[in-house]
Amino acid sequence: MPEAILTILKFCFLGLLYLFLARVVRAVYRELSPDRPAPATANGAARFGRGGGRRSDQPARPFKLKMIDPATAQIFPLGEEVTIGRAPGCSVPLADDTYVSQLHARIYVRDGKPFVEDLGSTNGTFLNKDRLSKTMPLHRGDKLQIGQTVLEIVQ
Amino acid sequence: MKMPTMSGAGPAAAARRSTELGLVILAVILAAGGYVLTALAKGATLPADLAPFAAGAAGLALAAHVAVRRFAPRADGTLLGLAVVLNGIGFVVIARLDHNLARYQTLWTAVGVAAFVATLAAVKRIRDLERYRYTFALLGIGSLLIPAVPGIGQEINGARLWVHLGPLNFQPGEAAKVTLVIFLAAYLVEKRELLSTPTWRVGPVMLPDPKHFAPLLLAWGSSILVMVREKDLGSSLLFFAVFLAMLYMATARVSYVGIGAAMFAVGATLAYHAFGHVRERVTTWVNPWPTAQGHSFQLVQALFAFGSGGFAGTGLGLGSPGKIPNAATDFVFAAIGEELGLLGTTAVLLLYLLLIGVGFRIALRADQPFLKLLAAGLTTILGVQTFIILGGVTRLIPLTGITMPFVSYGGSSLLANFVILALLLRISDEVARRSDAGELHLPPPTDTGTAR
Repeated sequence: MPEAILTILKFCFLGLLYLFLARVVRAVYRELSPDRPAPATANGAARFGRGGGRRSDQPARPFKLKMIDPATAQIFPLGEEVTIGRAPGCSVPLADDTYVSQLHARIYVRDGKPFVEDLGSTNGTFLNKDRLSKTMPLHRGDKLQIGQTVLEIVQ
Repeated sequence: MKMPTMSGAGPAAAARRSTELGLVILAVILAAGGYVLTALAKGATLPADLAPFAAGAAGLALAAHVAVRRFAPRADGTLLGLAVVLNGIGFVVIARLDHNLARYQTLWTAVGVAAFVATLAAVKRIRDLERYRYTFALLGIGSLLIPAVPGIGQEINGARLWVHLGPLNFQPGEAAKVTLVIFLAAYLVEKRELLSTPTWRVGPVMLPDPKHFAPLLLAWGSSILVMVREKDLGSSLLFFAVFLAMLYMATARVSYVGIGAAMFAVGATLAYHAFGHVRERVTTWVNPWPTAQGHSFQLVQALFAFGSGGFAGTGLGLGSPGKIPNAATDFVFAAIGEELGLLGTTAVLLLYLLLIGVGFRIALRADQPFLKLLAAGLTTILGVQTFIILGGVTRLIPLTGITMPFVSYGGSSLLANFVILALLLRISDEVARRSDAGELHLPPPTDTGTAR
């Protein structure tokens, strides 16, 4: 077999290998893309058929957390899950509030709706002045008091 | 071929399965193509056993695919394809080096696929594994101890890690990898909070209560001790790294990594002074050239192989990777480097990168701490093992013999890797089943202690 043909075949083989890689990357990308928080989320989820877990009826604008007291007006986007606490690893770190537990509460989004859950904090989590005893759904305008900090759900 | 139906698994699952089927078919075509290329380079004819080879490869790969459709329809669609293509490339290189070994590798691949199917069929819920944590710990430590038993244990290349039973040779340490990670995941999830709250003061550092820590140290210490006794450096490094990684992932405490690194430094220094073969590995790593005909012959031959491969390699069947001792097992990456060049080795690295990335993504998406930690631990095994052997062969770190997952010749290793693959797919399927069903009224259990 002439060497030239073997060289061509070798590059064909390597090309096929990279084609395989490209297809894996495409499959991974398709799995990841519905997760991106964008207005296209709802359409994306329906198109790729991610199932009921993430489908929402209205193309909902993502919920956010707004810091009201102290009135820094800082905004925290609500991803799939945010943790609130004094620990530096929390998505909403409240290092200066000594009434906040290390891991105080968490908010997660299921089916486009946010829920809040107290993580066994010492001083409790208050939703509109009521102390949380179980996981509760959140709505726009709800106020969460954690330690001495107050956060509002905005959209 | 009629595929088993997936009752109500949903369009997402169907899409993942057709992705998987496409990748698996492409992987088989790649393996068959490589096999043909090797034969063409040696003579001008197609290999005589092409038909049985292609049929066998396609049969095994499709059997695995059908098993996933049947038992884990919602699982990730890329893992199996990645494993099949790595396995296929490995087989082509092994067949090119030694036809005898290739025959055994065929057999071992069949056993591996059988174990893959059996694991998927037997482990219906991952949580069931959690209940048998101490059984798994005992199994792991037991299988590490077996090779030391006189009569059954056998020493090959200076390391006593084989068990000889009739015509079969196997390394029980490979099974221990999987069972010890299952134990660690279950134990760490249970004791996570206790381990991440330091209450015991030693000088300036706070450590967790030794009471909760002792079983871990015991499991870890005995595995390391056994490994050192059996002179298997690669595996002890692997165990140590996986142990440390899982401890960190469970507790999110950097101090464990610091303490672990210090322990590793002490251990490595002691091993360097105590064992001749460790010293030899370090000297050949620092400068292999003075002993190029002696101790570092293997490493130097591997470096020459990479060098003569160049950018695109000599072509399959056209190099001379046979000059490297153990080219089919630990040094298979050098053989790939010689015949497929930088392009081929980069592709292999990318395959591993994707495999490990997908594994960690399964861990990130998992909604229960045990699933999360188990998926991350199993993926860490694959990742660290790949790093140790590829780093060793390319002289990035001192060489410690360990197999290249899915690629190297080696039955026990292939078997263990297929079981790891099956467990990862099972976890992925379980998580997808819950999130697809949209159990929004049952909030997932909190797993706030897990590092993310």
